[in-house]
Amino acid sequence: MSRLGIFVDRKTLSNSEQLNALIRCRDVAEELGHDVDFIFPVDICKIPKMDALFIRARTDPMNITYVAARMAKFHGIPVIDDSESIQICSDKINMYSHLMKKNVSLPRTIFLSRNDLSVEHVSHLFDEMGSPLVVKEPSTSFSLRVEKVHTVAEFFKVARRFIKMSDWIVVQQFIESKYDWRVGVLDGKLLYACKYTIPSVTFKIQASVNGHLIYCGVESVPPDCVPPPVIQLGIDAANAIGSGLYGVDIKNNNGDAYVIEVNDNPSLESGEDTCYPLVYQTIVSHLLRT
Amino acid sequence: MNNRGEDPQIPEMKALHAQTGGAQVPLQILPSSGAGTDISPAAGPRPQKKNGLKTYAGREPAALLKDSLHILKRKDAYHVISESYYYKTEPYYTILRYELEGKKVEPSSSSVLDAYVIPICLERAASAGIPVCEWGISQAYVPLPAILYGLNYFSTTLDYFIVDDSKKAKDVIKHITNNGKYPFCYQKYAEGAEIHTCTAIFGRTVGACNTIADYAGKIYEIFRIPLVKLVFVKAGGAFLLSSLSPTRYAQLSDSERALLSAYLSNQEFL
Repeated sequence: MSRLGIFVDRKTLSNSEQLNALIRCRDVAEELGHDVDFIFPVDICKIPKMDALFIRARTDPMNITYVAARMAKFHGIPVIDDSESIQICSDKINMYSHLMKKNVSLPRTIFLSRNDLSVEHVSHLFDEMGSPLVVKEPSTSFSLRVEKVHTVAEFFKVARRFIKMSDWIVVQQFIESKYDWRVGVLDGKLLYACKYTIPSVTFKIQASVNGHLIYCGVESVPPDCVPPPVIQLGIDAANAIGSGLYGVDIKNNNGDAYVIEVNDNPSLESGEDTCYPLVYQTIVSHLLRT
Repeated sequence: MNNRGEDPQIPEMKALHAQTGGAQVPLQILPSSGAGTDISPAAGPRPQKKNGLKTYAGREPAALLKDSLHILKRKDAYHVISESYYYKTEPYYTILRYELEGKKVEPSSSSVLDAYVIPICLERAASAGIPVCEWGISQAYVPLPAILYGLNYFSTTLDYFIVDDSKKAKDVIKHITNNGKYPFCYQKYAEGAEIHTCTAIFGRTVGACNTIADYAGKIYEIFRIPLVKLVFVKAGGAFLLSSLSPTRYAQLSDSERALLSAYLSNQEFL
């Protein structure tokens, strides 16, 4: 029998589905014969007593989840998400650089520094990459600081806001799609796949529209109904980052598939795994395989 | 010489063509440093020995301008010298660029993250035998007296708060946790304790006692950060590491500026 720690932060638990998913994970681990402790930020000193750690909180190198991941590493404890994956996936400059290095298919993407923010440079981007463009602040999550811009003026309005948070920002070609594929990958193998249906009033999987939060629809899709190139691209993208657990967002447009991003700590509470009942069992067994 | 020191291979923005499904557009796999400063080997007086410490009085300091970034190449490693190495800043991305190109660079991007996140910094220092402050994570309660540090996206190690009464603690905690949204790190601060700070330049200090100088050297071996402020708590005659933080060139003493300039102009050897 082993002891699994599930690291959670009540401040980033935003709905009952997330809570239910945590309980489901605990139940699966216990059914496999393991003890489970929920570890909150104030309990971080308990991490060395665990045999493995599963982080289920919003990750960022500047917050407590990174401390948890590093503490696990110092003590030789298997951890999802590992600190390297958090560092890469939390920063889109770092994440896209890793994908480019491995020639993973992406929308046309460039990085822009504050020194590059000139009208000529930005006009040139529209000429080269078309309109609209998508501007991203590197550490955004849930599409919070992702904006679609159609003109140079719109671009500057958004870029000036984002450049206060990062010395570099991401500019990307806009790829139209009604849904994103989410390919879940663990240790280089397909774990699950689903579709995130983009709400008609936005281009993001989550957005605030007229003061109301709009979420995408989620449809779990069995593996034989997912185009093989999408699965392969998801695995290739995940492998470009590391060997942990990732959710790869892919747009499949006119037969061409593009990775939009690779997420560490992918959501598993909205039905993503309905067609994959062994997801938690696979994760727990992977963490405690020794 | 280019604006980042010695390396003629690195200076230009690396333009790549990503293998995407769309038409190819030059992609920057990594940003270049735009804030570099030309560091020419400065001809200056030979260092004089004073109390066993080399001094460089009279030497014109290298261009240690605010926010300037310098890169030294020694043997097989590139050393990135900056006032700070915060996440998502130019120095951080410069380090990443070297790493993604497969070059050995110091400090590493993970080291600078570790150094500025207090619990990780103290764990790594303690594992190398450096005495560190006793610490804990909390979201509300703190045993007093204590030093408090924020532990979130918006906090920096430059901001620490010594609290010795519950009213002040409550106000500080409210501030550093953004009204309880984030946890914070506290460290035990004994009655009569004092804060001591010093600056380490490639692990060397100017005018520090032997104990601190020894710790500075060890800390450099762990994190490889060329310019860093060390914050210690002195309690019961012992120095305990509390944090590492960035420092401004403008805050360096003349001797420290001279020492750093000597490194930048290749007259001190790593």
